[in-house]
Amino acid sequence: MIEIKNLSFARGNSLILRNVSLLINSGDIMVIKGPNGKGKTTLLSNIVSFLEPIEGTVEYDGQKIDNEIASRKFLYIGENNFAFDNLSLKQNIDYWLSINNVTFSKEITKKSIQFLFDELNLDKKYYQLSFGQKKKLQLLLLMLVTKETWILDDPFNGLDVESISKILTLISKKRENNGTIVIATHQDLTIPDYKTFFLR
Amino acid sequence: MIINFFKLLINEFYLMLKGSVLSVTLFSLLLIASTIFSLALRHTSLGLEIPLAFLWIIIFFITIIKVEKVYQSDFSEAKLQQYILSPFALEIIIFLKNVMIYFNLMFFFIIFSPIILIILNIELSYLLQINALLSLSLLSIVFISSMTASLTISKNNKFSITSVLTLPLFIPLLIFSMAITEIIDFNGSNKIYLFFVAYFLLNLAFSPLLTSFALRKLSV
Repeated sequence: MIEIKNLSFARGNSLILRNVSLLINSGDIMVIKGPNGKGKTTLLSNIVSFLEPIEGTVEYDGQKIDNEIASRKFLYIGENNFAFDNLSLKQNIDYWLSINNVTFSKEITKKSIQFLFDELNLDKKYYQLSFGQKKKLQLLLLMLVTKETWILDDPFNGLDVESISKILTLISKKRENNGTIVIATHQDLTIPDYKTFFLR
Repeated sequence: MIINFFKLLINEFYLMLKGSVLSVTLFSLLLIASTIFSLALRHTSLGLEIPLAFLWIIIFFITIIKVEKVYQSDFSEAKLQQYILSPFALEIIIFLKNVMIYFNLMFFFIIFSPIILIILNIELSYLLQINALLSLSLLSIVFISSMTASLTISKNNKFSITSVLTLPLFIPLLIFSMAITEIIDFNGSNKIYLFFVAYFLLNLAFSPLLTSFALRKLSV
């Protein structure tokens, strides 16, 4: 359970979040919506403890979220690409799996890739991928890294309809397993019973 | 965890290989700078100290540029976010990257050093001592440069200027590096090497901690 209490955040002289309170239970899908510049990404960054609020707290199961809790509990996929342009896709996957301390058989990794991409030449360099393919490669971590909570910042940006549906399937399965998902997006989800929080 | 640590080490090695083009370019610039230096002062007897001081200063610049470029690309905001959430401490990732930068620079220095010594009119018989001294001092230079880089790549420009604060940390290295002439000329004690080992251990203790602190606070 994630509990945000009276959170305020400022960057320089501008107050971006003011007195935000929010409760996200285990097994919830929480969609954070709001116009551009209203602090959706900033709120996610505060949850994952990348940023420190000027006021208020963010707690996970009653404990203040610090780097240690964040690294154990959260899988964060931000809006920017984190892969290395000059490495091949295979090298990138190996690299980010080892960073996340994940060891999978080649078979499982291959099946996960097939689920998202159908067909993909892993010897290609990362920079040779399209915008949508790059996004999907990042979202591959959702299948390979096991963490209780997913924090996703605009995960559907640049994806085609079929890929969005695959990601929604993953999200539904995560919820079935009592996982928590927090998503910042402008898109309406085609999943039943998700909660929405508006930032105005 | 240990298996993945070694996998990470191998992956960092691949990354280091991919970044070798920059090192070759920087060492080529060192060759050009050495040539101009030697040509400009061809009628002056320089002894050993001045060409060595020149060499060391250029190596400082090469290292600072290399570390900053690596940090700019490898610690971009999105990557840094993943590193922070990694089960591996950010300090360990910083340590691995620094070690790989060190090996990369050292490898190219060993290749280029005979040519550089010839250009700078330093006897080739000193090659081993110079390489040994550089291999020790470069460790500290890389770790100090990583602190500098973590400040200069910060999002907030007003913190970039604070990177100047790390520059005095280079001074002891420069001073003691010049003591190599005593080892060579007077067959002095090799205890001078111990200073570099001690200084590196000091940097090893503080630099990854300070670098990771600066990256977490200023670049995310």
